[in-house]
Amino acid sequence: MKIILRIIFCLFFGAFAFQIYAHHAFTAEFDPNAPINITGKVVKVEWINPHAWVHVEVEDESGKTVWMVEGGTPNTLIRNGITKKTLLPGTIIIVRGYQSKGRLCLPICIANGRDVTFPDGSKVFMGSSGTGAPRDGTDPRELKRE
Amino acid sequence: MKRFFLFSLVVTASCLEAEVTMKTWFGDPDLQGTWTNASLTTLERPDNYESLVVTEEQANAAASFTAAFIEEIDNPYEKGESPKAGENVGGYNTAWFDQGTQLFKINGEYRSSILTYPEDGKLPRKWISWGMEAPSLYRMFTKANHPEQRSLGERCVVGFGSSGGPPMLNVLYNNNYQIVQSPGYVMILVEMVHDARIIRIKGTHLPDHIRPWLGDSVGHWEGNTLVVKTKNHHLQQRFRAAIRHQILMTENAEVTERFTRTSEDEILYEFSVDDDKAYKDVWRGEMPLRKAEGKIYEYACHEGNYAMANILAGAREEERRNQ
Repeated sequence: MKIILRIIFCLFFGAFAFQIYAHHAFTAEFDPNAPINITGKVVKVEWINPHAWVHVEVEDESGKTVWMVEGGTPNTLIRNGITKKTLLPGTIIIVRGYQSKGRLCLPICIANGRDVTFPDGSKVFMGSSGTGAPRDGTDPRELKRE
Repeated sequence: MKRFFLFSLVVTASCLEAEVTMKTWFGDPDLQGTWTNASLTTLERPDNYESLVVTEEQANAAASFTAAFIEEIDNPYEKGESPKAGENVGGYNTAWFDQGTQLFKINGEYRSSILTYPEDGKLPRKWISWGMEAPSLYRMFTKANHPEQRSLGERCVVGFGSSGGPPMLNVLYNNNYQIVQSPGYVMILVEMVHDARIIRIKGTHLPDHIRPWLGDSVGHWEGNTLVVKTKNHHLQQRFRAAIRHQILMTENAEVTERFTRTSEDEILYEFSVDDDKAYKDVWRGEMPLRKAEGKIYEYACHEGNYAMANILAGAREEERRNQ
């Protein structure tokens, strides 16, 4: 009986474990069958918790579409000196990720920013270990502080 | 002799000064400040380690492995490549994470787990109780008829996992805490999602039917150590899941925490969990809380929680498609 319950729990947990590495389950919000690869200019950055949102205007034959792209909690980046002023309106970025399950684009299209880069491939947001805890230099992505 | 006397005087003065700076204005040991428990060390010991204490070589290997792993998951696509349909939707760049870069040290020794007991570094789960949680797990991750069916983290009620505790465990980001003391009280503010646990010094527990978020905590001082006992955990906080830990805290759970300021920059945080309904034995752990630069940022989770509306809208759209 114990073994059966252990198996049941592990199966359930294993099935959903990948959903719990953040504030919410990504698969509940975004559609794995609706991948996106968009290039556009930043029109607004909402620097809010629990997730920052970058608004990107994409222009194609059918006109202009604004996408809201979900990022993570801004606290980490703010702590490392990165603010909304780091990503100014007009900046061109490439967003690769998945569209929201709603797919309605009403009133605005929504996607997750699984990979957000500048056109040259460099990352828009460079992270670090930074909680302000002593930096050990083992993380090559750590921002250097004066 | 005169030089020796002066030297003794300086040493004595600096010791006295250190003692003074480690006390609050009302005389309690001073734990105040902003602290972090971000670390690669997790609650349970990964299978690749055989002991609690690991070598510097093993610790460096863990740091290198994590850095390489982050690099890999942070660059999922080649230049020009598009995400493929049917794959895991992932999340966002790991720049947003803050999971630490190395295993933590206690007494100068790297640790492979927060758990110190049981000695194998694994939670002594009673699988019968854990198996009974499967249906609620299923509902939490699949149902979206209204907000209250979703997890507490998604609802911005408390942070995910056991970030707010007790016991306070590290997760992938927002591993920051602010401790503020006043006569008779110690308050611990958890950055995610802006939860405050107010510990009543020499207080008595609330009646059992009152179960606050983060439990009901009372404390007392044993020398320079703050000892906190927490019971009456909120029933909706039974199962606390994060990628780095999963714990079950039933209505029987009692947590004892010990906070000891070991230096200007560090608090030793120890805890034990006694819950005979979910575990075969008591489990204990310890980890350092290191001083963090800067301050806690307001989380304001509800106000910006667009994700909840998107999750519910997504569920409605799926229903429409399946009709």
